[in-house]
Amino acid sequence: MAELAVELGPLKLKTPVLAASGTFGFGEEYASLVDLQNLGAIMVKGLTLEPRAGNPPPRIMETPAGMLNAIGLQNPGLAGFLNKELPRLRYYGVTVIVNIAGDTEEEYVELAEELSKTEGVAAVELNVSCPNVHKGGILFGTSALLLENLVKKVRHSCRLPLIVKLSPNVTDIAEMAFVAEKHGADIISSINTLKGMYIDVARRAPYLGNITGGLSGPAIRPVALRMVFEIYKAVKVPVIGMGGIADVDDALQFFMAGAAAVAVGTANFVHPPTIPSIVSGLRSYMEAEGLTALEEIVGIAHR
Amino acid sequence: MLSVARVIEKEELAERCYYLLLLEPRLARQSMPGQFIHIRVGESYMPLLRRPFSVAGASPESGTVQVFFRVVGGGTRLLSALRRDDSIDCLGPLGNGFKSGRVTGPSVLVAGGIGVAPLLFLARCLVREQKKVILFYGAQSSGELLPVKRFLPSGVEINLAAEDGSTGYAGTVTAAFSEAVERGLRVGEMFACGPRPMLKEIVGLNRQKWSFPLQVSLEENMACGVGACRGCAVAVKGSGESAYQRVCREGPVFDAAEVVL
Repeated sequence: MAELAVELGPLKLKTPVLAASGTFGFGEEYASLVDLQNLGAIMVKGLTLEPRAGNPPPRIMETPAGMLNAIGLQNPGLAGFLNKELPRLRYYGVTVIVNIAGDTEEEYVELAEELSKTEGVAAVELNVSCPNVHKGGILFGTSALLLENLVKKVRHSCRLPLIVKLSPNVTDIAEMAFVAEKHGADIISSINTLKGMYIDVARRAPYLGNITGGLSGPAIRPVALRMVFEIYKAVKVPVIGMGGIADVDDALQFFMAGAAAVAVGTANFVHPPTIPSIVSGLRSYMEAEGLTALEEIVGIAHR
Repeated sequence: MLSVARVIEKEELAERCYYLLLLEPRLARQSMPGQFIHIRVGESYMPLLRRPFSVAGASPESGTVQVFFRVVGGGTRLLSALRRDDSIDCLGPLGNGFKSGRVTGPSVLVAGGIGVAPLLFLARCLVREQKKVILFYGAQSSGELLPVKRFLPSGVEINLAAEDGSTGYAGTVTAAFSEAVERGLRVGEMFACGPRPMLKEIVGLNRQKWSFPLQVSLEENMACGVGACRGCAVAVKGSGESAYQRVCREGPVFDAAEVVL
């Protein structure tokens, strides 16, 4: 049988299909709907040191083949996560990657430090790309200098595999990936949402409570794919590709562009068993093509 | 919780307001008044997201559930084109429904527009519990009012309101209900569903004047429908993370005393 387990540098995953941060909550929400054993990992909802209430509604709006969201990192904070969510995730037996965000370098460092001491966390994903908060977050992901300083500091205090999730809202994402790798990222994940907006014509005003939001879904897939393609050329560390993936064909495009694993986001909302169906689709594809490992096609579009 | 339902009946019962009868025995067995089903209206990416609809009735005996919807955009337009025997992808039943307590007075339901849907289901359950049920139901005009009598057991008192004065009380359903209270209507418990401005007014009046036990069923844009995305937030009294709750998960029915509309 085709081998679906992958090794992304120091991170071993049962399958190469992950649930993208913010789209799978803390696992519990989908536990009765999706066989979590198929998930390479759950990248949990962005976590901050203190609990956050999130942005005022409306927080989401559908757009052509996509959606805008401006949740604003609503989360229970580190203590809430450790006491309530993590034990439940461990009970499900699913690999847990914790997406962390902060207003300051110190907050990221403290989160990484605390999570490194915690059993049951497989990796930390540095969120430097959330477009929906007004401090920290995306600022770190849109300035090469700020990113360099942040990754350096977090790397120093983080004993877990370190993933840096990049923002597409930059001129040259490959440069950001290069900076992240140079200063200690073990893995790059890309992309986060594209900043966008919607205007309510009847009210003559922005629709979202936060004014702008992050665009996701199939609408962004060609952009995400191109960025993964460029990042693959710029770095040696593995890339987790994401952005509008909804079926096995989409996933294969990302592998061929250079992703060593993929994550599914918005499609989980539309069809909760998307990840298991992509996993089984990959298995069939590998068998049909005579592949023993997916590695054989990673980046093949560059050759 | 994912299942495929078959369309048994589809009918336009009022201006742009449709009735769907779906065959899906599990949904019919499990659905409670106030819960919703999250329907994927098509296979394409346009529209992309599912659409939430309150369950308007469920019959475990016949294995059917009822849904009402009003055509407001692309998703509901596609639904309105469904035909008998078509299949639709349903996720549900989801959310928390109405909780009816032991009360001394009648159960009063206040419905605005298509918001009547979950209250029809509730009314039938309350009647089964031998409760006295009074419905206030309003819309812009008589043409937009669903023929609710057809979906209610005898014994439910129905009070209609049309803002253009074309039938029943001439004015909003909130005004119709307020006047009835002023004239001495007894209210043991109260349930409301309708557009947000209407609910806001009722919740405000209840806080200032009546203090009836009141539950409201809320509507909000949803993505996942299961609580994962935190997209359908409603403000609640509290602090920190609990300043917002999820309409899909903690709701869609909330105690009016807890939400900030």
